[in-house]
Amino acid sequence: MVERTTTPPALQGPTAKEKKYDRQLRLWAASGQQALEDAKVLLLNSGPGVVGVETLKNLILPGVGNYTIVDEVDVTEKDLGVNFFLEESSLGKSRAEESCKYLQELNPEVNGNAIQKSTESFVEKPSVLDNYTLIILIGPTKDSSILEKISQHAQKSSIPLFYVHCVGFFSHFSVQLPAQFPIVDTHPDPASTQDLRLLNPWPELLIFTREKTGNLPFQPDHEHGHVPYLLLLLHYLNVWKATRDGKAPAKYSDKKEFAAMVAEGARKNNAEGGEENFDEATANVLKSLNPPSISSGLREVFESDDCRNLRKDSANFWIIAHAINKFHAAHNGLLPLPGALPDMKAQSSDYIQLQNIYKAKARSDFAEVTATVRQSERDLDIKSPIEDKEIEAFCKGAQFVKLIRGRPIRVAKSTEPLGWSDRAEALSMELENQKMMGLESLLPIYFAFLALDRHHDEISRLEQSRREPSPVKEIPGARNVSGAVLPVPNFAEAAHFYTPAVDPEKEPKPWPRFDTAEARGTFDNVVKELDRADGAELHNISALTGGMVAQEVIKVITKQYVPVDNTCVFDGIASKTAVFNI
Amino acid sequence: MVGAGGIGCELLKNLVLTGFGEIHIVDLDTIDLSNLNRQFLFRQEHIKKSKALVAKESAAKFNPHIKLEAHHANIKDPQFNIEWFQGFNIVFNALDNLDARRHVNKMCLAADVPLIESGTTGFNGQVQVIVKVSSPISSSSDSNAYKVRGKRNVMIAIRKRRRKPSLVGEELPVHVRTTLRLETINADDPQVRCSGRAKTRRLSSITRKTQKMVSRHRGMPNAMAHIFTAKEIKSLRKESQALNSIRQSMGSDDFARKVFDKVFKDDVNRLRSMEDMWKIRKPPTALDFDGLSKAAEGISTSMAQQDQTVWTEAENFAVFCDSLKRLSTRLQKKQAQDTEAAAPSVLTFDKDDEDTLDFVTASANLRSIIFGIEMRSKFVIKQMAGNIIPAIATTNAMTAGLCVLQAFKVMREDLNRAKMVFLERSGARVINSDTLKPPNPNCSVCGIMQSRLIVDPTRATLNDLVQDVLKTQLGYGDEFSINNEVGTLYDPDLDDNLSKKFSDLGVKADSFLTVIDDDEENPRVNLSLSISEKSLPEDSKPVQVPDKLHIARKPKVVPASTTNGDTNGHAEPTGTKRKRSLEEDPLQEPKRGKMQMNFNTDGFLINDVVIADDSTDGAIVIDDD
Repeated sequence: MVERTTTPPALQGPTAKEKKYDRQLRLWAASGQQALEDAKVLLLNSGPGVVGVETLKNLILPGVGNYTIVDEVDVTEKDLGVNFFLEESSLGKSRAEESCKYLQELNPEVNGNAIQKSTESFVEKPSVLDNYTLIILIGPTKDSSILEKISQHAQKSSIPLFYVHCVGFFSHFSVQLPAQFPIVDTHPDPASTQDLRLLNPWPELLIFTREKTGNLPFQPDHEHGHVPYLLLLLHYLNVWKATRDGKAPAKYSDKKEFAAMVAEGARKNNAEGGEENFDEATANVLKSLNPPSISSGLREVFESDDCRNLRKDSANFWIIAHAINKFHAAHNGLLPLPGALPDMKAQSSDYIQLQNIYKAKARSDFAEVTATVRQSERDLDIKSPIEDKEIEAFCKGAQFVKLIRGRPIRVAKSTEPLGWSDRAEALSMELENQKMMGLESLLPIYFAFLALDRHHDEISRLEQSRREPSPVKEIPGARNVSGAVLPVPNFAEAAHFYTPAVDPEKEPKPWPRFDTAEARGTFDNVVKELDRADGAELHNISALTGGMVAQEVIKVITKQYVPVDNTCVFDGIASKTAVFNI
Repeated sequence: MVGAGGIGCELLKNLVLTGFGEIHIVDLDTIDLSNLNRQFLFRQEHIKKSKALVAKESAAKFNPHIKLEAHHANIKDPQFNIEWFQGFNIVFNALDNLDARRHVNKMCLAADVPLIESGTTGFNGQVQVIVKVSSPISSSSDSNAYKVRGKRNVMIAIRKRRRKPSLVGEELPVHVRTTLRLETINADDPQVRCSGRAKTRRLSSITRKTQKMVSRHRGMPNAMAHIFTAKEIKSLRKESQALNSIRQSMGSDDFARKVFDKVFKDDVNRLRSMEDMWKIRKPPTALDFDGLSKAAEGISTSMAQQDQTVWTEAENFAVFCDSLKRLSTRLQKKQAQDTEAAAPSVLTFDKDDEDTLDFVTASANLRSIIFGIEMRSKFVIKQMAGNIIPAIATTNAMTAGLCVLQAFKVMREDLNRAKMVFLERSGARVINSDTLKPPNPNCSVCGIMQSRLIVDPTRATLNDLVQDVLKTQLGYGDEFSINNEVGTLYDPDLDDNLSKKFSDLGVKADSFLTVIDDDEENPRVNLSLSISEKSLPEDSKPVQVPDKLHIARKPKVVPASTTNGDTNGHAEPTGTKRKRSLEEDPLQEPKRGKMQMNFNTDGFLINDVVIADDSTDGAIVIDDD
């Protein structure tokens, strides 16, 4: 061994980068970190712009690859009071460049860019957005056409878009994901990943059961008290089936009877007055004896056209999903065995053997799925094979795979009422349900932000009509204002009369129900606060919202965990959030 | 603000930009590379500098009108006494360990200063308001939080308790836990009996325990020595001689063999010989040094760098020998510089010290082989042994923001609207809240009576407290004990200290005494006395309680609950399992695990349904990794 100096050499152990990111690698692993480092995030900033910068801070610290700030204005005194990433010396300079500079200091490995432009001129040619992998747009936009343009382009190019509002004590963000956004690594609760397949045991498991339970009544106490509960259940299932035409207990009453039968088998003439393994067995009857079923999330994946009909350009996700669907069909509704075994009372050697039986089965299921994948690759003439790792991850988490179908962000226009189409009923229910339970729904917070967007659109339209005395043609359905100079409406007053109304032709169910005093009350209160704040941000609320938005951005970039689907509001007075699918 | 780490950095920024007038920052830690992914007030060039000082400097630039003061010190230092705490309107806890949290909680309750407590792990976070109030409602304590909701709280409890969370969290089979229990029983055997209370801390690390045992043994008041039997002392001495002879051989060629044989062979064989222990468990198997030496021939020492793979038995052996050599070289060098007077230098485990981590990884895996436990990679063991909690900027940002919002409510004395707030990673419920809870009568911090005790240091003896105050004035019977951090000062069988002065017993100003009533029928809640020293007139009693006290009685013991954590907030990962499975007949509740509604005080249902945690097998699960 080499003689060492007093300080240990730096060569050993993880790299400096791994050390720096150690605490987050334990959440999203190297694959998530790579995705983060490959990301190019665009911030379209406006207003006080604090929430946008705070969001970026939370992305730069963990090492997002690249960020760009688009912001039109120069730094004023006002900014210094709320924006942590500006200094006295920034006064009068480009806010995009100055905040970019100070944010950059947080992490030298991140590449920052600043563009001093307004959002509307930046997106004049929306194809500019294709240079980025994720967009954060701070609302309200100057008029509704800008939001609409960005949203439409993001949909077309499958770029995730976050639309954020933060005013006074309230904030909101909506996530527009690509039309199909599949997540394999949803990080389910470890306890729920246990599929023990007791109703469909395979030969090796049955042989081991016979070996360990064949002589059950005559076993010495110690062994009897250490038969793993899985094997006990399998043993008693055989006993049960023998007298019932080979059928396992299915109904609740049957299961209850079955549990009683298992409990009967425990020896009670001991100090504890029972046996722990038998307790475990009875406790798990309901959980473990369910016929195979698949989650609604996975069903949606299986039924999707992309899963049924593979193409040459199909994503890996669909090719594997296709193979797992085939497995599912070929094995009577079973999914590949995850292979994990819960903790249980057992002798160590038995437990390890049982563990090996489960692992071996999981490996053989995985091999079968892989074979199907390889066949598809040959059929479709795909040159670069999917990595085993990816197939294995899918096999293990198949039950928990999630497909989110991105929905376009709602655009509130001053010229036409908002349509709620297929969500009308669900949102109406949300308000009614909360009211029935005597609760205050937070949905009106979202309405208030829509009213704010609409108000900005209205002002912009009026200003434009003052400049061009002809009717505004580019906005379809606009009212003819005949060039008259109209007073700028007051937001609180305007909002009071503004209801995101429904078109009774399209949406026969009247919604939203602003006739409930509760919803109207919340709406008016939020509007009052938005009006009072007059677009200003409170640093603390912006920092908190920046934390929430960045959290969801990371989930979207890493394709791990399940992101908010698709709208979240925050009430800073009650410290409450709510998530709605809009 | 106590703690300038992940939450602390965010909190300081928010406080500065919200316009708080004067902020004191206390942190004894220095900046490490692994902090930089979230603690944004620190940069590469700040590594190894004081967190408190750098945080102050970085934040000061943003608001010159705010008075900022930094203390690079331990919050438990005597300078931060009750009077010091009373100088603040509000205290924020942004700490990473239970010990300091408990301490600040106690000090704030004693000083009657509102405390905003917070913590995070991974995507989860928690904020809680703790206020002392005279009315029965609205006061809350950190121990309470553990009990409110199953898994979440247990996670935070773990973090606070500095237990080895992942060891129990990673779905290891029962066998691991069994072994843990066994190891500690074995290592602790003599001193567990020394103090009944030590038993409850059994699961803490053996090393720390051993150190504690030694220090307690050394510094123990004479009166306590009788608790050891002669036999136990003899066996302790023998053990200590054996260890000493191994220590002497450090640096020699057979040092590794000696350590190895002691830990992996002799101790194991001795354990194995206690047949009672192995009636229901698989006995351990000792390892063979020569056999492993042979198997390990040709294994490169660079093996230790592969931290993602699980090493083989021989590889672990190779790393064990190599790291032991590295450590002994370092220790010898260090000790060579020791001065005569000082205690000999030691090396302590640090997860970022590769030599110690290699040693712990290899030793832990070798022990795993002995007990038939699955081995782990260095990466995973680092997380276990280093008590690494995943941490990210986003959760800290949200948690700190919520802290400030709660502070607004406290400062407006709007406690009815103050909340306990939880963050969760699940998309359906980003933030949840719950109302503040009244004190928990069984909690060791809030479920107690608090008072000052004025002591004249020149005259006061323990007997003055026992006779005048406790028995005569407060009506205690004979069965009670007086304790401080060091141990028991008085109980009915330990009266040697009665004639001693407070100062001779090491009871100083600003320290605490706890009076535990052991009355069999109807015991009082624990009484916590904070000591104030003052010259009292000669004709008055030398020990006085300034306030009139009505000490409540403890509630009757309730049977073990189904939530994790016992009534003192000490989450015990094992032991209640069997009881639970008997109590809960899942067949009685076919809908169990479906939905559970949560109401806040206004009777409002909190926005979201919570999936009841039905995996209450007592295992502690970290949600996010």
